[in-house]
Amino acid sequence: MVGTLLYQGLVGLSEAMYLWLVAAGLSLIFGVLRILNFAHGSLFMLGAYLAFYFIRLLGGNFWVGLLLGPMVVAAVGWALESFFLRRVYHLDVAFQLLLTFAFVLIFDDLVKLVWGPLYQSVATPAVLSGAVRVLGRPYPVYNLFILGVGALVGLGLWLLLEQTPWGTVVRAAASDRDMASALGVRVPRLYTAVFIFGAWLAALGGALSVPVHTISPGMGESIIIEAFLVVVIGGLGSLKGAFLGAVLIGLLHAYGIMFLPMFELALAYIGMAIVLIIRPWGMFGVREV
Amino acid sequence: MSNTRGLNRRDFLKVSVAGAAGVALGSELGFPAIVHAAKVKDPIKIGLQGIMSGPLGAYGEYMKKGATLAMEEINSKGGVLGSKIEMNFRDEELKPDVAVKNARFFVDDWGADFLIGIDSSGVALAVGQLMAELNKILIVTHAATEKYNEGLVYQKQIKQCFRVSVPVYQDGIASAYVAKDLPVKTWATVSPDYEYGYTSWKMFKYYLKELRPDVEFVGESWAKFGTTDFSSHITKVMAEKPEGIFTTEWGGEAVAFVKQARLFQVFYQTKAWMNPMGGAMDVLHGLGKEYPDGAWVSSRYWFLYPDTARNRAFVEAFRKRWNDFPAYVAETSYTAVYAIKKAVEKAGTLDVQTLISTLEGMELDRPAGECVIRAEDHQAVYTVPWGEITHDPRYPMPILRNLKVFPAKEYYRKPPFPPIG
Repeated sequence: MVGTLLYQGLVGLSEAMYLWLVAAGLSLIFGVLRILNFAHGSLFMLGAYLAFYFIRLLGGNFWVGLLLGPMVVAAVGWALESFFLRRVYHLDVAFQLLLTFAFVLIFDDLVKLVWGPLYQSVATPAVLSGAVRVLGRPYPVYNLFILGVGALVGLGLWLLLEQTPWGTVVRAAASDRDMASALGVRVPRLYTAVFIFGAWLAALGGALSVPVHTISPGMGESIIIEAFLVVVIGGLGSLKGAFLGAVLIGLLHAYGIMFLPMFELALAYIGMAIVLIIRPWGMFGVREV
Repeated sequence: MSNTRGLNRRDFLKVSVAGAAGVALGSELGFPAIVHAAKVKDPIKIGLQGIMSGPLGAYGEYMKKGATLAMEEINSKGGVLGSKIEMNFRDEELKPDVAVKNARFFVDDWGADFLIGIDSSGVALAVGQLMAELNKILIVTHAATEKYNEGLVYQKQIKQCFRVSVPVYQDGIASAYVAKDLPVKTWATVSPDYEYGYTSWKMFKYYLKELRPDVEFVGESWAKFGTTDFSSHITKVMAEKPEGIFTTEWGGEAVAFVKQARLFQVFYQTKAWMNPMGGAMDVLHGLGKEYPDGAWVSSRYWFLYPDTARNRAFVEAFRKRWNDFPAYVAETSYTAVYAIKKAVEKAGTLDVQTLISTLEGMELDRPAGECVIRAEDHQAVYTVPWGEITHDPRYPMPILRNLKVFPAKEYYRKPPFPPIG
C-alpha cells in the first residue's frame, strides 16, 4: 500500500512539472513587472506548436524542436513586452488583463490559421520511450526526464536569482522599482529581460509536452487557469511558492483520481479556498501593507 | 396540384402527363408518383453541426467532408426532385446550450429543412428534445447514447429524431462478443467522465458477464473531458493488475492515452487493449507507427468493409475529393444526406409527418453496407467490424486485420429495451 501511494505520488509529481514551468514564469513576471499575464498559457501553447513545427520540419528530431521552439517564443515575448505591455504598466490592472486576454484570443486564432483547428501529435523519441522499475512498477523514462528538467529549472532559477549580480538587481527592482531606478538600474531593460525569460520557461513546458500529449488550439487556457491556482496558493511573485503550489496541485490531482474521483477537479479549488482563508497572500507570498 | 398559377403551359403538360402516369402506377408503388414532377422547395437546406475545434475537432471536419461530397454528387446529378441541396455548418463545441442555439439558428433564422451531425451524446439528447418543438427531422451521424433511440424516440415518441450512425451497442455489446474470446479474465477501464463513457462500460460489463461469467472487472478511472495527461489514471487502474484494458477515449484524448499507456508499459503488462473508437481515422493518423500491433479497435464504419462496389466507389470518390481516407463520420454524414434525398424523393414533400413515416423502415444501400432504419426507435441497423491494429506499408496509417463481424441485427438491443442489470 505504501508503495502504491509513493508511486502514485511520483506520477503526480511528474505531471506537476509542466505546471511548475508555466507558474514559474507567471510568478516571476508578476513579482518583477507587477503584471498578471493572462496570455502566459498561450506562450505555453506557442512553445508546443513551434516545437511541433520544428520537429516535423527536421524529420522528427525532438531535441532541436525543444531548443528552437522556446527560443522563438522568447522572441515573441520580447515583442509582446516591448511593443504592448510596456504601455500599460502605469494603467489600472483591468487594462492589463484586457490586453493580455486579447493576446489569448489572437494567439489561439493565429495557431488555428497556421496549423488548423485539429489536434496534432508527434512520436515520442525512442531514447525516452522506455521505463525503469520504481517500487516494483514501470516508471517511464520520459516522466523521469520531466522531473529532471523541472528540478534543474528550479535549481537554475534559485542560483540565478540568489547567487548572481543579475539576480540581486532583479530582486531589487521587484521590491522597489523607483529605488532601483534611482540607484542606476535600467528598469525597462530589466523588465524586458524578465518577460523574455518567463516566456521561454512557459514555452519550454509546452515543448516538453509535445511528444506525450496531443496539442490543440485552446490548450493554453486550461493550463493558465491551473497556473493561476498555483500562484495564488503559493503566493504571487514567490518562486518557492510556485514550485510547492505546482507540486501540491499535482499531488492533489494524482491522489484525487485514486481516492476521491468525484471531487478530483474540486480538490485544487478547495485547496486554494483554504489557503485564501488562512493566508490570503498565499503560502509564500508577501503580505501587502 | 392546387397551385397551377405559377406554371406555364409546358410545365402544366408535364405535370399532367406525370399525373396520369402516377395514377396508373400509384396503386402498385404504394405512393403517388404525381409528386415527382414538382419541386418541393429550392434549395433544400441541411444544417450540420459537429465538433469543429480542439482535440476532437477532426470529427466535425470529417462530417463536413462526407456531407459535402454527398451534396456535390447529388447536385451535379440534378439535385433532389430538381432542387439543389444547400448546407450550412456550425461548431457544437460539445456544449448542449451552444448546440441548441445552433439548432434554433438553423431552423428559425437560416430556414433549414433538415438537421444532421452531432458528436456528443449530451448534445444529441439536448437537441433531440428540442426537435418536437422545432418540428424538423434530425439525423444524428455520430453521438451514440442509447438514450437517444431508446429514450427520446421509443419512450418519449419524439419521432423527428433519427440516427444513421451506430448506437453504443457497437461500443458496449459488440465489444463483449470480441472480449469473450480473448484470454483475459480481469478488465479495467479508463474512459470519458460523461454519458458515453459510463454507458459503454456498463453495457460491456453486463453483456460480457452474461457471455463469460468467469470474468471480473477490477478497476475504473474516469477522465474529465479535456484530459491531456492520463498518467494518474493509468497508474490507478494498473495497480489492480488487470489483464485487459477497455477504453472509450476518443479523438486526441485516445491518442494521448495510448502514447502514455505505452510509456507506462501497459501493452507489455496486459494481454488485450480494446477501444471501440480506436479505429477512427484521426486516431489512426495521430498515432501512426506508435499504435501497438494487436490492439482491438472498432469505429462506426471501416473504409475497407464491406468489400463491395458501392463502398469502393465511395472511398475512391472521397479520396479524389479530399485526398484522404474517409473517417466513419464522413460515411455516416454522407449517408444522412443520401437518406434525406431518398426520403424526400419517396415522400415528394417536405411535410415532416410524411417524411417520418417514409424514413421508418426505409432501406439504405450505403457504403457501410445494407441498412434498415428501424421503425420503432429510428435507429439504422448495419454491421461494423472489430479488428486488430496492424501496420501495412500500403497505407499511410495503421489498418485493421483479423476482422470480427457480428451481424448488427443479432446484438442490437431491441424494443421494448429491457433495463440493463
